[in-house]
Amino acid sequence: MSRDLIGKGAIVLLALPALLLPALVLGYIAHKGVAAVSWQFLFDTSQGIGAQLSGSLLLALGACLLAAPLALGTALYHRLLASPRQRRLLDLLLQMLQGIPPIVFGLCGLVVFVHLLQWGVSLASGAVVLAMVILPMLVLNTIAALARIPAEYGEAAQSLGLGHGAVIGRVWLRLAWRPLVTGLLLGTARALSETAPILFTATVFSGVVWPASIFEPVTTLQTHIFYLAQEGSDPRAIQTAWGSALVLIAVVAACGLAARLLRKVGYT
Amino acid sequence: MLRLWLTTSALLSGATIVLLLGFLIHASWPLLQSQGLAFASGSEWYPYEGLFGLLPALAGSLWAITLALLLAVPAAVAAAVVSAELWPRRGGTPLRFAMELMAGIPSVVYGLVGLWLLLPLLEGGFDLLTGRSLLAAGLLLALMIMPTIMLFTDDALRAVPQERREAALSLGLSWAALLWRVILPEAWPGIRIAILLALGRAMGETVAVMLVVGSIDRLPDPIYDLLQPAQTLTSRIGREMAEAAAGSLHWAALISGGLVLALLSITLSLLAQRRRAG
Repeated sequence: MSRDLIGKGAIVLLALPALLLPALVLGYIAHKGVAAVSWQFLFDTSQGIGAQLSGSLLLALGACLLAAPLALGTALYHRLLASPRQRRLLDLLLQMLQGIPPIVFGLCGLVVFVHLLQWGVSLASGAVVLAMVILPMLVLNTIAALARIPAEYGEAAQSLGLGHGAVIGRVWLRLAWRPLVTGLLLGTARALSETAPILFTATVFSGVVWPASIFEPVTTLQTHIFYLAQEGSDPRAIQTAWGSALVLIAVVAACGLAARLLRKVGYT
Repeated sequence: MLRLWLTTSALLSGATIVLLLGFLIHASWPLLQSQGLAFASGSEWYPYEGLFGLLPALAGSLWAITLALLLAVPAAVAAAVVSAELWPRRGGTPLRFAMELMAGIPSVVYGLVGLWLLLPLLEGGFDLLTGRSLLAAGLLLALMIMPTIMLFTDDALRAVPQERREAALSLGLSWAALLWRVILPEAWPGIRIAILLALGRAMGETVAVMLVVGSIDRLPDPIYDLLQPAQTLTSRIGREMAEAAAGSLHWAALISGGLVLALLSITLSLLAQRRRAG
């Protein structure tokens, strides 16, 4: 018995850094951030981070609006129309896309959208780049959600004479909407937390409250933290950075929590 | 209509990665043409003199990733053992929930933490003029990938059938032997995937690394000196992309760095997926 205690003690000791350090870091961010956060800080566009918060949300919303129909269509094609060979090819291409680091999406966006298509550093460029970042996770999530629906449901509907459209709308989407929304929430969280893809494609340091068109740049919470962190000489800038970090974590965690609750409720 | 939507979506989704790689190759072509593959082994990077050696950034990335894995893997696997074996309440334990929260923290926040918490600690601890170094990057990356490794290892451990544990215990094995000889080998394929995924994350991480690595393009001298400012593949792109003129050789060199990064990441990702399927 005591031998077991030694083994377990050693494991706990080895695990301590992984158990304690993240908690300490989170605590430190909360401690530093709380001092900066107030209603004015959250919503004011000159004293606070109202403009940055709305810019982040706009980009994430744009990315989801672009990626969601594409992801649903791709997953339905995968389930309904694809031959086994096309299915394997699609899986392979999506896995490759999923492995691409965020900064490479940023590079590609800079080359293609900012320069080649002349959209400039803009909301549009950033939204398309972020849509590319979250596309593979959305498609793979939707494929998995559709795969969990028993095949008989679709077959039964088809035997009643329903076409593909009716099977999708009346059977599948009704059964699978929870996991689909869960995936979309996780995609939103991902789009909100990425910095590298939008650094050169969508954002400026300051001076934008609300973009006049989708071809105007925005300011975002992520890049705001990034720029402020490097303003070493100004303690107020650093405090704002900690406050922004806390708000960003809260928004991302809220998406994650909503996704978790929805997943827990389960099917139908 | 429906068929059109589905087919277009699938074509677009599939074509994304092909187009992405195509544009990267196209944009880095001027450099590949003028320097060939020699740029991968050049150890000097002076954009204004036309020297574009990739080696310092490659070595920096390699060091930072190795350091991060060495620090993070033992602790994270041990933490997963604590959560799955010692504290295996069914469903999500509070520990798992906390790890999911940590895994979701945006990388720029880690950058802020690195710059204003880790660097001062390093400067004080090692009596350095500047804490910006490969050591700082490795420590920060370790912190970032620990939750990922722990979550996936936790899944792998929980997937080990209960009968294996009972059979081993009925043979009179100690808990340590059970863990080392039965549970960890059984869960190893899953743990390997966790490590590969973490490796990919660490290699592609940009903003956090570029804030703490120092962004100085030279090989560490001697090669194991991790306390000097250095550069990684990602931090170089992040630092210099904004100043390079579109279409210049410098620009093409930065993009070819991105291409190398993309190819390495795809290899890792496919390796992890293959393991998962096999």
